[in-house]
Amino acid sequence: MLSIQNLRAKVDNKPILNGINLNINQGEVHAIMGPNGSGKSTLASILAGRDDYEVTDGEVIYMGQNLLELEPEERAWAGIFLSFQYPVEIPGVKNIYLLKAAVNAIREHRGVPELKAGEFLKLVREKLNVMQMDEAFLHRNVNEGFSGGEKKRNEILQMQLLEPTLALLDETDSGLDVDALRIVGEGINRMRSPERSVLLVTHYQRLLDIVKPDFVHVLANGEIKLSGDHTLAEKLEREGYEGIEAA
Amino acid sequence: MSGFSAWLNDIEGISAQQALKAGLPTKRVESWKYVPTRSLNRTGWRPATPQATERFALTGGRFANIPEVSGLEVTDEKLTPEEKKRLTGMSEAHGFGLTQAALDHSQLILTVQETASVRINLDHLANEASSAGFATLVLRLEAGAQLTFIEQFEATVVEKSNLSSLRCVITLSRDASVKHVRFQKANATAHIFSNIEVSCGENASYRLQTIEFGAKLARNDINIALAGREASASVNGLAITKGSQYHDTHLTIDHVVGDTKSEMTFRNMVDGKGEATINGRVLIRQDSQRSGTEQSIANLLLSESARVNPKPELEIYADDVTASHGCTVGSLNKMELFYLKSRGLSEADARAFLQYAFAEKIIGEIQHQDIRELVETQLLGELQHGDLIEELKESVDV
Repeated sequence: MLSIQNLRAKVDNKPILNGINLNINQGEVHAIMGPNGSGKSTLASILAGRDDYEVTDGEVIYMGQNLLELEPEERAWAGIFLSFQYPVEIPGVKNIYLLKAAVNAIREHRGVPELKAGEFLKLVREKLNVMQMDEAFLHRNVNEGFSGGEKKRNEILQMQLLEPTLALLDETDSGLDVDALRIVGEGINRMRSPERSVLLVTHYQRLLDIVKPDFVHVLANGEIKLSGDHTLAEKLEREGYEGIEAA
Repeated sequence: MSGFSAWLNDIEGISAQQALKAGLPTKRVESWKYVPTRSLNRTGWRPATPQATERFALTGGRFANIPEVSGLEVTDEKLTPEEKKRLTGMSEAHGFGLTQAALDHSQLILTVQETASVRINLDHLANEASSAGFATLVLRLEAGAQLTFIEQFEATVVEKSNLSSLRCVITLSRDASVKHVRFQKANATAHIFSNIEVSCGENASYRLQTIEFGAKLARNDINIALAGREASASVNGLAITKGSQYHDTHLTIDHVVGDTKSEMTFRNMVDGKGEATINGRVLIRQDSQRSGTEQSIANLLLSESARVNPKPELEIYADDVTASHGCTVGSLNKMELFYLKSRGLSEADARAFLQYAFAEKIIGEIQHQDIRELVETQLLGELQHGDLIEELKESVDV
């Protein structure tokens, strides 16, 4: 589904990614771990189409398309979803406006009919229930005044509604207390399916206790230094990143 | 002889002579330095003629259908010396003020009686091509009176330059309150001048919401004096400027005495070759202790050739004061755009969302639902892809 070959990128002339190679097949959950500043979030942002980075080499093929040539909205239409590390506050726009506009934009590009108001409300209520969120969230401005945990829940709520083919989850576990972590983790698990792939970026193992990845990769200095199964995450939790960074 | 000069030349009187001598303000006058006065000078103006209407309206410089409402009195008496002084103050500010004083067609004095609560709607009808109308409205509020004053501008298409100017003198006695809403969506050839002079007595409150969409050139001069203790004023403004429009608001709030509060929030959104000026001045005098003011000015530029001239001015001479102010100029936020696009919104839809959000911060504050909805509809009609938001509002707002 996703093939990243020798991806190199820099920001303000500073190299961040130094040749990433990664293949993700349909239905797989991959976790990318690594110390702060290793390039984890940059990788997720580049895949979603944020243009603050300059890709200097390499290519990314997503479902047969050259991903790097697509605009962020075209990537969303093609089934890519990024759960932001820092979800953006948009004062003046109600959450429900964004949710409905997003759902229908993506449905339109998938060639399925738009949801009518009643159908949409039924769907969104069902997903709110999964995320244990109050309906009042719909009528608040997008992420404005939300706590850290509420913002992350709102991201996963959007993911549930948009049903991506490839979900990129950037530090979705940061800023969550134990209960919120469980709700978010279970929300992600519900989305696992043979057709859907997930790339989880995280610093800690704790989310991976709930969402068991098929593969774990360790990113340091913009390169994947080590790959393994979920036991690698446990090893990192015990031993830290120091040995890997030096390698 | 062109512009207003020919007209002024036909009028006898000291102010006409003074106005002729002074001419229109030029770019050398600080408060007029951005105003494109060329079209004012080029047009051969003649007096506008009133049109028939069934509503309370300003047409051709005259008031039609003066409202007959309980608690509201039409006063025949003369202006008080204080009102006269405030009108003269306006006139002497610049040549345009003198011109306005000389050409004034009519003067209406309305009094809201003690503790009465009244709503009046004034419609500004478009003046015909090459014609200009000037008028003065005096509003007096007796103690404890409440007035909701809503001004709306008609958008009739007029092929050539036209002009309408209203001076408004509002005096609030103790405990009186005014909610003043202006929704300016005049035609694209209009020159709209609005001069609002407010004086608030003890514990009186004046709240203005002013929304500018229309006109080729719109200039607001708003001066508010907080002259009694516990008086307060709040001004909320939005100008949507595009094409080759010019919108200008000069606003002064004067804390004449202590224990007074003011708030000023203004947003400009400028597209195309539009230009907007906002001058927001707050004066807290030396003896006006325990006063507070909050000022926030935000400017959004949507095109390379859009221009904005923001000037926040805080002059504080008292020491026991709370004051906050902020002024920003920028384009649409890149991260916000990326966030919306990453959710599948097209570039145009994402831009519409953010422009709507910027304007909504002011529009959402309008308490009168009928007016708020009119303004929102106008905004969404003007935004490219505003129809998406209109559909969303209809489908999910219950």
